[in-house]
Amino acid sequence: MRPFRARRTTAAVGSAALAATMLLTACSSGTAGSKDNAGGDGKVTLTIDLFGTFGFKETGLYDEYMAAHPNITIKQTDTQDEGQYWQALQTKLAGGGGLADIQGLEVGRIASVVQKQADKFADLKTLGLGGVNDDLVPWKGAAVRTADGKVLGAGTDIGPEAICFRTDLFKAAGLPTDRTELAAKWSSWDGYLALGKQYVTKAAGGSAPEGNKWTDSAAGMFTAEVGQEKVRYADESGKPVYDKSPAVQTAWANSTKLVADGLSAKLPQWTPEWNKAFSTGKFATLSCPAWMIGYIKGQAGEAFAGKWDIAAGPGKTGNWGGSYLAIPRSSKHQKEAAELIKWLNAKEQQAKLFTKQGSFPSSTGAQAAIKTVKDPYFNNAPIGEIFSESAANMPAQVLGTDDGVIGKAFTDALGEVERTGTAPATAWQHALDNIKKASGN
Amino acid sequence: MKRSPLQGGPLAYAVLTAATLAFVFPFYWTLVAASRSNSELSAATPALTPGPNLFHNIGEALQQASIGTALLNSLLVSTAVTAGVVLSSTLAGFAFAKLRFRGRGLLLAVTVGTMMIPPQLGVIPLFMVIVKLDLQNKLPAVILPSLVSAFGVFFMRQFLIQALPDELIEAGRMDGASSLRIFRSIVLPVARPGMAVLGMLTFMATWNDFFWPIVALSSQNPTVQVALKSLGQGYVPDQSIIMAGTLLGTLPVLVVFGLLGRQIVGGIMQGAVKG
Amino acid sequence: MATISRPAPALPAQATRAARPRWGARLAPYGYLAPFFVLFAAFGLFPLLYTAYVSLHRVELQTADRMDWLGLQNYTRLFEDPFFWNALRNTFTIGVLSTVPQLLLALGLAHLLNYRLRGRTFFRVAMLMPYATSVAAATLVFAQLFGRDYGLINWVLAGVGLSPVDWQADTWASQFGVSAIVTWRWTGYNALIYLAGMQAIPGELYESAAMDGASRWQQFRHVTVPGLRPTIIFTVVVSTIGASQLFGEPLLYEGNAGGGISHQYQTLGLYMYEQGWSFFHLGRAAAVAWVMFLLIVVLALINAAIAARRNRTDR
Repeated sequence: MRPFRARRTTAAVGSAALAATMLLTACSSGTAGSKDNAGGDGKVTLTIDLFGTFGFKETGLYDEYMAAHPNITIKQTDTQDEGQYWQALQTKLAGGGGLADIQGLEVGRIASVVQKQADKFADLKTLGLGGVNDDLVPWKGAAVRTADGKVLGAGTDIGPEAICFRTDLFKAAGLPTDRTELAAKWSSWDGYLALGKQYVTKAAGGSAPEGNKWTDSAAGMFTAEVGQEKVRYADESGKPVYDKSPAVQTAWANSTKLVADGLSAKLPQWTPEWNKAFSTGKFATLSCPAWMIGYIKGQAGEAFAGKWDIAAGPGKTGNWGGSYLAIPRSSKHQKEAAELIKWLNAKEQQAKLFTKQGSFPSSTGAQAAIKTVKDPYFNNAPIGEIFSESAANMPAQVLGTDDGVIGKAFTDALGEVERTGTAPATAWQHALDNIKKASGN
Repeated sequence: MKRSPLQGGPLAYAVLTAATLAFVFPFYWTLVAASRSNSELSAATPALTPGPNLFHNIGEALQQASIGTALLNSLLVSTAVTAGVVLSSTLAGFAFAKLRFRGRGLLLAVTVGTMMIPPQLGVIPLFMVIVKLDLQNKLPAVILPSLVSAFGVFFMRQFLIQALPDELIEAGRMDGASSLRIFRSIVLPVARPGMAVLGMLTFMATWNDFFWPIVALSSQNPTVQVALKSLGQGYVPDQSIIMAGTLLGTLPVLVVFGLLGRQIVGGIMQGAVKG
Repeated sequence: MATISRPAPALPAQATRAARPRWGARLAPYGYLAPFFVLFAAFGLFPLLYTAYVSLHRVELQTADRMDWLGLQNYTRLFEDPFFWNALRNTFTIGVLSTVPQLLLALGLAHLLNYRLRGRTFFRVAMLMPYATSVAAATLVFAQLFGRDYGLINWVLAGVGLSPVDWQADTWASQFGVSAIVTWRWTGYNALIYLAGMQAIPGELYESAAMDGASRWQQFRHVTVPGLRPTIIFTVVVSTIGASQLFGEPLLYEGNAGGGISHQYQTLGLYMYEQGWSFFHLGRAAAVAWVMFLLIVVLALINAAIAARRNRTDR
């Protein structure tokens, strides 16, 4: 036997394990430490965790802010799909680990946060941001205030709706491409479906590119249409009405009709297949809340500049999405985070975000400043005018705690209808079952 | 191993080659997709050969999906877990294989019995515990629960029963060696090949571990698998970057496999006969 | 952590050398076992039992330290939930779709690998490579290959004149897709296990079979397969247990815990994850976990019973 060597091996393995464990403990506390550390050179790294495309980075706002504040470094992480983002956020809120200094919150979740997780977020009033929502459209600010008056988030954008369309495909199919003319033709969802039928007939006849459908998905149309009503999934008292509200009923009927008429490209939104379809062109129109403009630019890219245009949609209004920025209580840099939020939400930055990314400000001051904005990518469409009008007609939406879950259940069910040929009545029942499963206790 | 009953004919080669292609193609295609652009991947005729974008995509994956942190974290976690499992399994495996003590049969039965327990079963209490201990999103959260393995104990027991003659231990006892001394100077040298195999298997399994890490960690401080999960759930919209991340996450294992493939194959086959 | 770094303390220290022969000999075994069992009790056994306790309570992720007694309500709700039965059914069908072809392919490949071959190490290593790949990586790649509009597989199908398949939304196609990932990852591994078993079969058996004029196929059936029986049982047990816990593949196939648009490939493991981490009902998820565990115990007992009966009829 080789006692010495063997002894060394044990010792080596043992100390390796010890070293590794110590290293890890050191590492984990080390990372936390470096985040805490605002002393020394006074450098602060602000983390900001978002979903979809807020556009801060794309518009260069972080760079601008960092240039003006050399001690601040901003690091953004971003999940495309808000559903995934929300789940991850819940887990982190439960454990308190891995939260960023600033977290984005979607409007469909805000009632849930205000009612169930108010203690997890800092009251912006205590951080000198008490007035941050004063300038907003009233419902937007009200939605993020707790019963005892805390302000849990700062409203960024809202999602006034319009329709984005591909002028090149419209031309090929012999459809008009003039915005006003189109807005008139699809002033109602019936008109939108009728024009769609005309488009796919032409496409089938060979005068439009084959395989191109009228729109990306029934889900897109459903969400847009349901967003035009004041009461959707819950009424003013918080009672769930999703199974009988006229908003849901009509939107469901129209979206299933869209599928039955063969107008949908059947692409599930926020998936890789959907993303790719922007750069190949599988659909001619898209329900476009203002922030979708930035998403289209990001996915379709320069090759499609000038091929897209935008017109007022059916009903000339509606709200789809929109967000808040909030600071978790666990953040070590609440002051710095609050300053950044204040700056991002200032009129100038909000106007810039709209001009470059289409994110429509919820601040009335900024709204006044962007009325005349045109977007060269969208054929110089007067996006300021179109979305301002849409926003002006917007209902003061009633927000329920389960809006996010309910919306997803319905859009999933529509996916079933279009992709598996499930009968709409069956899919409707699935949606109700799913809502019960997800929200029931 | 030495004696193959029959000489393989052309048909055997043909079938095996076809199977090998099927096994290897997804790797090749990962490389293709990782070296192209998103629009090339969505073209009517998809790309079938590697393109020029590999390094650009890898750069993006490192930046957008923190694959760099993920690789480092996975290395730390897998190393610590491997050391822990190999050591604790060798100790316990030796006791079960060669020592006589009260409750041995019962304890062994418990150990083997729990090999069937699905990892899912412990996840919820573990989650509640790490929330309490403030370990969420920290590496010890994924290391601590994995430091021991019932399979490892069983594996080392089987190995040592055959590899370690009782006479050696007896001889050590006669010489008056302490129990610890016997372990160090007699058991360990004999156990080393078994430890190596167990180490390789544990390292790979830990590197690829999925369920618990995605619950305990987040994309802020991920292991490779957590980062890949984020990629698969729309963390990054660009498919070619997702594939670049996948490539980066798989590469280390493939390199290890390229170097030690023969030993790993041997280890698995050996384990099969013994187990 | 401390236990790992200090494996020795439980063993007799130098100072007590005199007392060692008696106490040392008696206690030493427990010292060897201590590191394993202490950690195992903490992270293996305790969670197991605590899961059962949690499953009798209402526990929500957002308020994880609050537990309200529910009795068996989580279980009764579970058995009333059509999605649970759906997940159970899917776990079974995907289990069959992945395990059966996987093991048959593995058996065939092992048979070929058992021939005298040039480059056999190469074949073996290549076949094991998928096993070294993580579930996450493999699934991301296959999810792309199976894409409906831009996937390579549908492109090939179109090339040979077939119509494209919706590998995500269609029930059977999506279950097949998920099963394909499992099959790809595990076939080579099982082939090597079988190969090891085949090499343990004495060559004389083949020689005498050949003398009796048995064809290669007959040799395979009458010498190889019977000789492999214990190995086959082992792989069936392992694959069945693996299939009953299937989780990562269906989760990342479309990146959604729902397991497809109609939950058509949501497995039990995924159903549990959805309950816990999409809907935040930890108590209900714990109930699912226990049901899964009992299911595995039942499967193992069935396997054992079949094996025992086989052995008896053989005699």
